[in-house]
Amino acid sequence: MIKLLLQLFIQYFHIGVFSFGGGYATLPFLYEIAEKFKWFSVTQLTDMIAVSSVTPGPVGINMATFSGFTTAGIVGAICATFAIVLPSFIFVSIVYKILDNFKENSYVQSCVKTLKPAGCALLSAVGIKLLFTSNLHLLGFLCLVLFLITGVVKKREPLFYLGVSALFGLVIGHLHWIGV
Amino acid sequence: MEKSFFSIFKTFFKVGAILLGGGYVILPLLTSELVDKKGWITSDELCEYYAISTSLPGVIAINTAVFTGRKLLGTKGAIASILGVTLPSFLVIVLLASVLSELVRFNHVNYIFWGVGIGVIALLFFAVKEMWSKCVTDRFTSVIYVLCLILALCGKISPAIIVIFAIITGLAVQFIKNKRKSND
Repeated sequence: MIKLLLQLFIQYFHIGVFSFGGGYATLPFLYEIAEKFKWFSVTQLTDMIAVSSVTPGPVGINMATFSGFTTAGIVGAICATFAIVLPSFIFVSIVYKILDNFKENSYVQSCVKTLKPAGCALLSAVGIKLLFTSNLHLLGFLCLVLFLITGVVKKREPLFYLGVSALFGLVIGHLHWIGV
Repeated sequence: MEKSFFSIFKTFFKVGAILLGGGYVILPLLTSELVDKKGWITSDELCEYYAISTSLPGVIAINTAVFTGRKLLGTKGAIASILGVTLPSFLVIVLLASVLSELVRFNHVNYIFWGVGIGVIALLFFAVKEMWSKCVTDRFTSVIYVLCLILALCGKISPAIIVIFAIITGLAVQFIKNKRKSND
């Protein structure tokens, strides 16, 4: 049991250190784990990816919790989740310290100034890609336009948009107006 | 509202509970909670943290949470934010682990997911609008924005590379400025 937990910890710590670019970057590592350790099957993994998108939380965390749980119960889930989060904690803490200590440095200030538009561009790119790859249909697109117009007029809670759009999907899907 | 371990935990728990559809959604959610409602942090700082988070290894949502938690209350804040943002997904997965596979085969779950996808795109565009007004302020930053957007949209360039490109540009620009100054 201890050996299994240690293995879980090492594997997920490894993912935390080497996956660049967010949740979906952890997927190749997870496929490798499925093949090498047989903690979960590839079919289970595929189901899990689908479920991760409907349950709250980042895909990487959901996967770690899920496979930790199927491998070694609740202790396994805690172990794997802790292991994937730990590298983030370490790396971010180091970078934060550097930024904080050299705040007045002109090079750091100049970097921060170029980093911000880059971050904004990355987020724009995600939005644009989602717009073209999600299967929106005309109705979904109209709903989105409506959201954007109302959003400009009045600022609302994120939960409002998530709730209304979930309900919208449920109604439209139930009525079979679109093939989702 | 006072910044305490518990209040930070509670805020991030809420964010974790409605974090649907990928890590980048954490940005609009944090903007709503921390900038608009509590005023604990500026959207300028959030923007900077998000940009750096995408270039660091690990889960982006977690990286961003650690950054903001650290800014709010040091190491204690970082631990509170990590616990808060992971706990909802942890609980949901542990509770649903045995029935997860059946869940996807429910048509209605897929309908809801399709719908939420629209809400997520709307949230992203609101976040972009907010960030744009804070981060793209002059000709130089506009050029950086357009360049990075083109890089991000065409081909399979990793976000990490784009962020490193931005860092190098920042260093180079400052280097040239300093050079000119010393020449004058």
